Amino acid sequence: MAPETKAELEMDELVGYILQVGVLLSMVLVAAGLVWERIRTGQLALDYRITNMNLFDFVVAELRLTLHGAFGPRLLINLGIITLLLTPLVRVAASMVYFIGFLRNWKYSLFTAFVLTVLTYSLFLR
Amino acid sequence: MVSFELLLLVSIAAGFVGAMSGMGGGVVLIPALTLLGVDIKHAIAVSIVSIIATSSGSASAYARDHITNLKVGMFLEMFTIVGAIAGASITIVSSTKPLYIAFGAVLLGSWIALLFAGHVTWHEGRQDAFTRWLELEGSYPDKATGTVIEYKARRAYFGAPAMFGAGMIAGLLGIGAGAVKVLIHDLIMGLPPKVSTTTSNLIIGVTALAGTSVYLMAGLINPGLVAPVVLGVVAGAFLGTRLLVRLTNQAIRRFFLVVLLVLAVEMLFRGLRGI
Repeated sequence: MAPETKAELEMDELVGYILQVGVLLSMVLVAAGLVWERIRTGQLALDYRITNMNLFDFVVAELRLTLHGAFGPRLLINLGIITLLLTPLVRVAASMVYFIGFLRNWKYSLFTAFVLTVLTYSLFLR
Repeated sequence: MVSFELLLLVSIAAGFVGAMSGMGGGVVLIPALTLLGVDIKHAIAVSIVSIIATSSGSASAYARDHITNLKVGMFLEMFTIVGAIAGASITIVSSTKPLYIAFGAVLLGSWIALLFAGHVTWHEGRQDAFTRWLELEGSYPDKATGTVIEYKARRAYFGAPAMFGAGMIAGLLGIGAGAVKVLIHDLIMGLPPKVSTTTSNLIIGVTALAGTSVYLMAGLINPGLVAPVVLGVVAGAFLGTRLLVRLTNQAIRRFFLVVLLVLAVEMLFRGLRGI
């Protein structure tokens, strides 16, 4: 059996890196949001739901708030949750880039495209 | 609304026990949250979000160590995500009683599996044409012996539909269903234990995201609940993996057998008698 190619080893590392950075970043954002809320209001009784929004509506709404400089604890927490949800999606997208661009493995490019399409479609549903 | 501090503490404990036992956080988290008065559908939704964090966290280290098999992961994810979307959709329309009963049954099944758990010894088998076509094979560096271990998977045609089922359980109940996935890898597809646990970790993250998409659509994601629970579970899982090396396997197993049985009986009781 052929040993794993350099591109395959690189893909392993890229996938590991994306997952680690994504989870760490989201945890930092959520924690910072909670600490901020505590300092500002003296309590932590956050209770709100994300309703009538799919992930992409949610992303657009939060980015708009960020651009308007409307920083606040909730915005940080929401950005943390968005980062967490996007982490596996970015991982799958990165694998697809590798399967198409570097490994030229059409079978697995197709499989990965299927996973990416189903995930993206389901996150777009409302 | 349950107090923030209590949510955080319960989540740390659930993440801790989940990581120590290898069962994942959801199995303990969901019954604990419902005992605190959280609606079971909200508990399932928040649990599945926390699973994205814990599984991705541990999958990252294994991927960089080149133990995870990305092709096995990608191939099986096609089936688990469809299963998870189907499972989560059932939960959305279901009434709560059947959910308690299903959860109790899964806990009881895990209890039985753990009680009779023996060491499945890995042995190389003949690879069939379909699995060869799928290129499901690989090698990984074994740090203990310093050698590279090569393996070939088999029976992907059974593994794929079984994974649809595992994904469905995960989406339905908001758990990782890692134990089921590892069993499929080990027993059906003949992957070496190290490869099967690490690859299952990778699959769990994407599967949980597919389930999350349905819960998000249904408006069941409450950031006020998600924030403390995800932070707590991740912190608890981190502590749990550190402590894992120091405790003997037998002590963990006995402790977890008791926890599982108590939770199983409690969930079944609530499902059968009404809450």
